[in-house]
Amino acid sequence: MPPAVKANLGYTPPDGGWGWAVVFGAFISIGFSYAFPKSLTIYFKEIQKYFTVSYSEIAWVSSIMLAAMYAGGPVSSILVNRYGSRPVVIMGGLMVGVSMVAASFGTTIMHLYLLVGVIGGFGLSFNLQPSLTIIGKYFQVKRPMANGLAMAGSPVFLFTLAPLNQFLFDNFGWRGAFMILGAIVMNCCVAGALMRPVKMKTVQKDPDAATNGTTTEKAGATEGIANLEAGGLLSDTEPKQKKGGCADKCLDLSLFKHRGFIIYLIGNVVMFFGFFAPVVFLAPYAKGIGIDNYQAAFLLSIFALVDMFARPGTGLIANTKWIRPRIQYFFSISVAYNGVCHLLCPFLAVHLGYAGLVIYAVFFGLAFGMVCALLFEVLMDLVGAERFSSAVGLVTIIECGPVLLGPPVAGFLVDVFDDYKYMYWACGIMMLSPGIFLFIMNYFNYKRLDQEERQRQSGTTGLGSVTRSIMEERGAGEERTISKDLEMFDEEGQ
Amino acid sequence: MFSPWISSLKLILIPLFWRGIYTTENPLLALNDPVTTVFRSAVLKGDNLVEKVEILKPINLELACTCDGNPNKLPNVTGFWRKDGIEIANSRLTVLLENEQYNLKKVFSIHGDSLGNYSCVFNGADKESKFDFYLTAPEMGNMKEKPIVAYVGDSVVMACKIKLPPKTWIWYKENGTEQELINSTTDPLRYKIFVDRNTTKLTVTNLTEVDSGVYICSAIYNIKTSVSHLEVRVISFMEPLKPFIAIVAEVIILVFLILLYERWGSQKSSSSPTGNMMHVDQMHKLTQDDNGIDESSTRKRKI
Repeated sequence: MPPAVKANLGYTPPDGGWGWAVVFGAFISIGFSYAFPKSLTIYFKEIQKYFTVSYSEIAWVSSIMLAAMYAGGPVSSILVNRYGSRPVVIMGGLMVGVSMVAASFGTTIMHLYLLVGVIGGFGLSFNLQPSLTIIGKYFQVKRPMANGLAMAGSPVFLFTLAPLNQFLFDNFGWRGAFMILGAIVMNCCVAGALMRPVKMKTVQKDPDAATNGTTTEKAGATEGIANLEAGGLLSDTEPKQKKGGCADKCLDLSLFKHRGFIIYLIGNVVMFFGFFAPVVFLAPYAKGIGIDNYQAAFLLSIFALVDMFARPGTGLIANTKWIRPRIQYFFSISVAYNGVCHLLCPFLAVHLGYAGLVIYAVFFGLAFGMVCALLFEVLMDLVGAERFSSAVGLVTIIECGPVLLGPPVAGFLVDVFDDYKYMYWACGIMMLSPGIFLFIMNYFNYKRLDQEERQRQSGTTGLGSVTRSIMEERGAGEERTISKDLEMFDEEGQ
Repeated sequence: MFSPWISSLKLILIPLFWRGIYTTENPLLALNDPVTTVFRSAVLKGDNLVEKVEILKPINLELACTCDGNPNKLPNVTGFWRKDGIEIANSRLTVLLENEQYNLKKVFSIHGDSLGNYSCVFNGADKESKFDFYLTAPEMGNMKEKPIVAYVGDSVVMACKIKLPPKTWIWYKENGTEQELINSTTDPLRYKIFVDRNTTKLTVTNLTEVDSGVYICSAIYNIKTSVSHLEVRVISFMEPLKPFIAIVAEVIILVFLILLYERWGSQKSSSSPTGNMMHVDQMHKLTQDDNGIDESSTRKRKI
């Protein structure tokens, strides 16, 4: 049984062709967004010496950047809803580039907080969110594959940025390196240029609508186009819809009534507490049990390498006809698998030493890649590509809390118990329980959706066409709403 | 006989004496002391065959090695000491097997010139096993081999750190073969030295190209001086500017090419009679151009 929410975009996504160029652009954008804050840590020691500040003060730069990147989600959503992905990504790339160049001339740590942290972070959020959105517009059938490929940008860029940053630092010091990094990040603008707004193929030609369309085109062309581009309302019915609210141009807050969205949100918020901490503490844990620096760093390289291949691989698997209809289960299983890995990690480390940690790194890399590849695909699957833009904005700002709190709380656990294993167990539970929660809740959700689908299909054809025309006037895009109407009519009919 | 399977060599040192001598309570006492003969012992068990001992001031040091008697439990073996590979005269002894172990110890008078590599050697049945002690002044570990890059007109901060606090820190700048002393009188506007027990920082402001070179921080101990070299490279802002401009140019060219290709592609498709294609981008840009572009009106709902 296919998932209930499908292409309510109003057009057939190309599923290929220029779409792959868009995936490449998204690859670059997502790569920069996730890898850039993490790779800057190489400069911290030198900057710390230069400005004579403590390590925690300099670590704030990374935290502020990450916080701004997540908090900028809703702003990004609103802009994408209004203007489309391309201008937002280009603007984001320029923001980060200019802020890095300005930071290279900075004279106090405050300058770095503002320029690199706040403006840079916002710039990155203007890269991340539109990239994800435009994939949903270009792909339907091959969307999990496209998502997996695009999300693979993160480990690939992390892998390449780390030695690149070291090279820049050795040759140009931190100031010169920031300036050149600013230029490199501007390649996000190239990625943005690739994100051509989608060409929509029409199948029927309605003469009334055509004349309406042409008049509206001349009158409110920009608005109409923007909305069509976002896959929103019909242009012929626009003047009536605008006064209702700005559901499609601003943030779609009605998502909070969406069952699947709430399930996803709850599961993810709990999950993110334990998501990043194991990565952050892998090297210190290894060093703590007596492994030297280079081997500990090698663990992270293994992790990143496995992650790199796990993401497109997961996309490929998720695209198969057996998994795609029940992709939510696949996602919840991956989350639970993460939890199991963390729970077993201390046993592996204690009994097998370095070999145990290598095994853990491989399995954890796989688990991490699976979750990351599916993270946004399942959200698209739940809310539909049309509302995805607002959904991802809301999700990122709410996830901001756990993402930022996770590693410090984990560090606190390590300090209190003076042993990493409790932290790994805590993270394991933080991932296993949302996995199970998501699995169970999605079981119920799928049942309800199947029920609604059956009701809609079995609803009489007359009622069906009436509803359809009402839907066209209202222009809402959600099938659940349709089925609700049908239920209403059903009851009244009875 | 011993080498491949020596399971443990116990090492008896008197390293803790330095804690007694150089304490925070009476640093002055430590600095003004003549050569002391304080004996204290600690037993360290090591599987490594090399042990590093850091010495702050001239002392008498007892080194001791213990070797397992397995498997051929010879009743006695010959033990002697080497310094830097050369056998020390009159150090050869016959060592008896006690409690399945061979013990060898000797007291050495250590001062600035007699630091080095001391080895205790057990010789039995023509086979030899030894344990090395590296006696040195504290060394500054893991200093950067790569030069610090700084910019003309900017400042640079160089830091040195060492495990045990020295008597004092002194900074030099290498000038050809000579070393120029840097202290508070040398250009106080530009050079600032900060000392905090076991760390020190030299800040040079208002850099010029001449300031490039090697800087030396030296930690002065009673026994010896420990030095570390730091290289500074001063470059102008033009240097990173070149790759910066190159990359920005590349970005602009690529963006231009992509948009150009898109315009060319859409012009091709709009010139052909494909009225079904609605190009959002075109409507945005080509305002008055209505050649056969139909706006989509129906929403095809896929079920």
